[in-house]
Amino acid sequence: MSEYLFSVKDLKKSYDGNNFILKGINLDIKAGEFIGVLGLSGAGKSTFLRCINRLIDATSGEIIFKKSFLTGIASDTQEIDINKIKGADLRLLRRKIGMVFQQFNIVKRLSVIDNVLSGSLGYQGTLRGTFRMFSLEDKKIALANLERVGLLDQAYKRADALSGGQQQRVAIARTLMQKPALILADEPVASLDPKLSREVLSILQKVCKEDGISALVSLHTLELTKLYSDRIIGFQGGEITFDGTAEELNTDEIEKVYARVK
Amino acid sequence: MSEIKSKSKTEELKESAYEKAPPPKKNIGKMVVTLIVSCIILFWAFSGAKFDVKELVLNGVKPFSDTVERMYPPDFHKIVDEKHYSVPATLTPLELMLPLPLDADKNKQKTIWWNNQFPQTILGSMIQTIQMALAGTTIALFFAFPLSFLAARNTSPHPYVYTSIKSVLSLFRTLPDLAVGLVFVSAVGLGPFAGTLALAFGTTTIITKLLSEAIENIDEGVVEALKATGANYMQVLSFAVVPQILPPLISIWLYRFETNIRAASVLGLIGAGGMGYLLNNAFRTFAYREASAMILILIVLVISVDTMSARLRKMAT
Repeated sequence: MSEYLFSVKDLKKSYDGNNFILKGINLDIKAGEFIGVLGLSGAGKSTFLRCINRLIDATSGEIIFKKSFLTGIASDTQEIDINKIKGADLRLLRRKIGMVFQQFNIVKRLSVIDNVLSGSLGYQGTLRGTFRMFSLEDKKIALANLERVGLLDQAYKRADALSGGQQQRVAIARTLMQKPALILADEPVASLDPKLSREVLSILQKVCKEDGISALVSLHTLELTKLYSDRIIGFQGGEITFDGTAEELNTDEIEKVYARVK
Repeated sequence: MSEIKSKSKTEELKESAYEKAPPPKKNIGKMVVTLIVSCIILFWAFSGAKFDVKELVLNGVKPFSDTVERMYPPDFHKIVDEKHYSVPATLTPLELMLPLPLDADKNKQKTIWWNNQFPQTILGSMIQTIQMALAGTTIALFFAFPLSFLAARNTSPHPYVYTSIKSVLSLFRTLPDLAVGLVFVSAVGLGPFAGTLALAFGTTTIITKLLSEAIENIDEGVVEALKATGANYMQVLSFAVVPQILPPLISIWLYRFETNIRAASVLGLIGAGGMGYLLNNAFRTFAYREASAMILILIVLVISVDTMSARLRKMAT
């Protein structure tokens, strides 16, 4: 077996039993890859990303991780289908997968550092987490993660005092608290201007490379996708129509990805 | 030249556009029927209520103005005169007011005065009204806070929990405060405790409803983000939901506090403490001028609580 992080086998999703948003996705993701996901609105990108951390339950198919992904014990090499796990195991899975959203989804009324600390909830006991009693060690780690995204000086401000680009960087720092092996980013720069988009994507790419985190980043601009991705996946009508490098993504392939489903 | 240019493309298109997309025709017949039916229903309501303008104007004005006349001028002597407070002769005012170390006998007298004499005075009953409202609303919040998470569609652990709590609460909400008050009076006896419990009961159902609606209106994106970090149910509530409902929670609490000051003064009618008891007594003994003084005090009290809570609400959001 190669160095794959997870592999997706014939993944299908339908909300009503007739129309399939995902029509059988097959994909192997290697550790440390930064993958751009291209496609029109409604092509199934968001649904696919949410199936991986089970915010959405797939209708059928498998997503195979090694058990060590959940437990952190290298000798746990047995394979598990994460579509079948529940409860505490599901939370173990989710805490290893960071997620960044188009609308940032940080808690606007809490301070920046509390938002970052909320990324560590998967590692906290219920009581400590609920009453926001974080250890000094956790706070130091949170500050270090804020420094990595360049926001150390904003740590004690209220989150809604920050600009959009800064809020998204807070969201990235929050995912770093999870010590993730994988980051899913669903249109992370769609509500930012071009300059901030590059800033945020550069930071995301940098932290992923530094920590060897794999990333699946859905983007809607071709230019940004080509600029940042090691590998590009094109979605069209719930299927993968392109899988290759930026160089391989020629005009014909682009046409295919952006073709309207008739 | 400029005149020709001012005829824009819009001007050119407007007739044909109107023809292509004419506004939908109104159904006049339906409107007339609706109007007639509403009129019949309203007529039925007014006749059942024995609504009679003639009676009101010809025979109602005189007694009404008489009552108002008898209430004027308001008589404040019961508030100002010391004798109405029947202060025990053995105690000095300082000893009465301050928590000083006193001998057993004096202490007993002091307790009796604070518990029995003082609440019978206008000033005392006013303070008691505020205390009842404050205590009742706080008890209500204590119960309503956890309940509202169970009664909100998006945070309820199971649809059955959500539905059953919602329906039990709307059932309880239909009970009038006075009826609930009577039940508590028979349970714990006359006095402010029964009134406070009645307020707490009614307010719990209403705060739960309002708060659960606030929870249903939160930004779900944050909930999704917190779930994605691997946080469990309680942690998601604490981080994603509670910060978002804090401003509505404070404003709901203040609003109910205001309402409960009014409600507490009514509860006195059934002997459940507060100003209503004195007010009722004044009316029954035809002491209209004292009653009007009490009403004025109540008005000032409600207005000042209103203003204060408006200010607090602004600070909270």
